[in-house]
Parts: sequence; structure tokens; C-alpha cells
Amino acid sequence: MSDLPVSLAFAAFSAVAVVAGIRVFRTDSMVRAAFYLLASFAAVGAIMVLLGAEFLGMVLILMMAGEMLVMAIVMVMYMMNPAGLNPMVMVHQHRTAIAAGAVAFLALAGVGLAGGVPQRPVTNPGAATGDLGRELLGNSMLVFQTAGVTLLGTMVGAIAIAAPRGRFGDADADSQEPALQPDEEPEA
Amino acid sequence: MSVALDAALGVAAVGGMLAVGSLALAFADEAAAAAVAGAPLRPRRLLVAPFRRAASALLTATTTTERPDGGGRALAPALLAGLAALAMSMLPLAPGVVPADPSTGFVVFSAAVAFVMIAVFLHGWSPNSTLPLHGAYRFGAVALSFQIPFLLAMLATALPAQSLSLVRIVEAQAPLWNVIREPLGLPIYLIVGLAVGLWGPLNLPDADDLAGGTSAEDSGLARWLWEAARTSMLVAVAALGSAAFLGGYLGPLLPGPVWVALKTALLLAVMAVARHALARARIERFVEVAWVLLVPLALLNVFVSGAFLL
Repeated sequence: MSDLPVSLAFAAFSAVAVVAGIRVFRTDSMVRAAFYLLASFAAVGAIMVLLGAEFLGMVLILMMAGEMLVMAIVMVMYMMNPAGLNPMVMVHQHRTAIAAGAVAFLALAGVGLAGGVPQRPVTNPGAATGDLGRELLGNSMLVFQTAGVTLLGTMVGAIAIAAPRGRFGDADADSQEPALQPDEEPEA
Repeated sequence: MSVALDAALGVAAVGGMLAVGSLALAFADEAAAAAVAGAPLRPRRLLVAPFRRAASALLTATTTTERPDGGGRALAPALLAGLAALAMSMLPLAPGVVPADPSTGFVVFSAAVAFVMIAVFLHGWSPNSTLPLHGAYRFGAVALSFQIPFLLAMLATALPAQSLSLVRIVEAQAPLWNVIREPLGLPIYLIVGLAVGLWGPLNLPDADDLAGGTSAEDSGLARWLWEAARTSMLVAVAALGSAAFLGGYLGPLLPGPVWVALKTALLLAVMAVARHALARARIERFVEVAWVLLVPLALLNVFVSGAFLL
């Protein structure tokens, strides 16, 4: 592939990422904000594909779809704004937020401009993947497996707590804790 | 110049396949409805019905709601149809003939399926109306439940190919089709496919008990566009299912594209019959079946497929 189409695509996706990122804070609805954020992330994923990280870029796009939907639904739930269509301001502490955003942007841009880009072409791409696999399933296996099982346990626990089915019956059908003493009336 | 020509040819091929597939699904749907109802099959009426429905939709005025999200309403059907085209563009038609073959085809298809939930949610949320919003929330629950069984069922087809490319996945089925090698894969995939296409027993977001759900406020052109996008998505799911599980273009005597069409038509026929023969699932039951039954079965499918490789 020649350089021009790649450059044009990079410019287009960068523009989408930046404009959608700004719109996240300029819009007046939580659902819209979530979808703008999704558009921004999808454009970043497309840029990763352009950079040759095809798998990482596509997985980023794949994961973001579910995450943003869950985020939108949870935000609407917490804000008691049934459809997420009622106008509301999406930012708080305007001056602090603007200052923090400007400082972070300038710092990151400064690192990007001054830091320089490493030039280390990979001679054998397969070997890098192999090394990563050996690291994950070799010396660091205990760490990763511990973290994985802990996360799985947390998820199972969270589902068990949130599930309507309890020890004393279904939550939506008059479940009641038994009384502490025999023959006592259970507390309502 | 030839690059532009190839691109135009690819776009035309993908659009043509989606259009022909959607029409075939409409005919199959009419035929299945008549067969399940025990009504006599009237070929002329059957052939005219999809066009009659389209004409009636296009002649109806497009209504609007109070303070809708106009951009979202316009985007939702376009996004869904675009996702269908994205998936369809990776369908191998014959050895070496495929509109696009990204090395991560499996992930691209999975991302397209994941974005269906964005399209459907956007479609239900943007009219600013109660019933469509209910449909949108329903699809959130349905989509998050079918995502993992879908990924695992597709992952098992990538194992024998040792590649995420859909072309390699078809090539790896030369000795044995995945439907035989992994008998659990295709049923799980078809169940998920019904949910992705908002079709039949798993058409929960656009269901009649919500007066049309996410499309309750659609009329005229908007309704037809959404129907067309949904149908296209179902066709794309059937086509890629035939590639991933039924060996795609592989088959004796007939040329590759004919086999692709026949196998896709078979899956579409199964889905058309499922729509009329099966009752609509309750959402609680579907969510429970997906997490409690389909996820372990899909995992078992992956383990068995992996064991064959040892």
C-alpha cells in the first residue's frame, strides 16, 4: 500500500478521534457522551490498525462497544434520567477541569514531540509473540493466574449478590429471613 | 486504476450478495409462514409479497417524535447495514476469491457483531419514546449475554485453522467440516445469529409485545430501511456461518460460489422456519440459558476442538 492513502486515513481518523473526544464534554446527554466516546475510541483503534497493530486495534474496537453501552446504561440508571435525553451539563468544576485538561494535553504533546520515536525494526515478528507467550505462561504464570482467579471470584460473587435468588427465596416473591429464635414470628 | 476498479467491484459484489440474500430470505419467510400455518402455497403471491411490503412502506409518510435525536435515528439503520456489509465483505467465495481478507477476520466479524448492539440501542434510544427505549434496554441484556457464547463458538473454528483469517478457517475444513468436528458450534452460532438479526424467537428488542420495540415509532422509509438493515445482518450472519461451520465454498462438482449460496440458503431456511415454528423466548429465560447453558457448552466446544489438535 502506498503512503498517501494511509496518511489520508490517519488524518481522517485522527480528526474523528479529536472532534468526537471534544464533543463528549460539549454534548448535553449522557448517552450521547458515551457514543461520542465510543466513536473516539473506535477511531483510535483504526489508527492502531494503520500502525500495523491489527489485532490490538480490532480488539480495542470490539471491547469498546460493550463497555460504552454498559457505561451509558449505568449512568442513566444512576442519574435518574430515564432516557438520557434530558439536557444536562456534562462537566463539573469548569476552571479546574479546563486547567487540568490543558496541562495534561500540553505535557503529553511535549513528551510526544521532545521524546523522539524509537527506531527498532523487529527482525522476527513471530519471536516477539513467542516471548510474550513464554512470559505469560512461564515465570509470571503464578501472578497472572492469581489475578485471573481473583477477578473471576469477584465476578461470581458480584453476580451472586445481585441475583434475585437468595437463600430464603426469590427477591421478587416475598423472600423473608427466618426468625432468630424458634417459634418466633419472622421480621417483616 | 485497477485498485479503484477492484474496490468498486468488491462494493458491488457485497451489496449484490446482501440484496439477493435479503430477497431470498423474504421469500423463504413467506413460504415458511404458509407452511407452518398449513396454508396453501401461492407462488405468485409469495413472489410479490416482499415488493408489496416495500412499496407500502415507501408510500407511507415518515413520522417523527417529540424532540428525537435526529442524528442517531438516521445513523442507526446505516450503521447496522454497514456492519452487515463489513461482515459480508470477508466471505470467501472460491479459492483465492474474497472481497477482503484481513488477517484478523475473526476479530473484525466479532467487532461487527458487538457493534450491532450499538446500532440497536441507538435505534431504540434516539426516538425519545418509551417503547423503543424498552426495546433498546432489552437488547443490551440480550447482546451482553450472547457475546461470550458467540466469541467462544467462533474461536473454536479458528483453532483448527490456527489463524484468525476467515479464508484460512474455510481452507482448514477441507478434510472435515467444522459442523462435524465441533457439533456444538453451529447450534450455538445459530441461536446467537437469531438474536443478532433480531429475528423470530429471539426478536426481543423489536417484539410485538412492545408494539414493535425499537421500531415502534418508525414508519414509511425509516421502517423499511431498518427492516432492510436487519435482514442484511441476518444474511451476513448466515453467510459467515456457512463459511465458518459448513465449509464455505468447499464441495464436490459444483463451483465454489454456488456452494456458498446453497449453504447460506440452507441456514436462512432454518432461520425462516424458526421464526414461525418457535414461540418468542422470554428475556429472563434467554439471559439465563445464555449464561448458564451456552457459555459452558461453548467452552466445552473449545476444549474438545483444542484436544483434537494435540
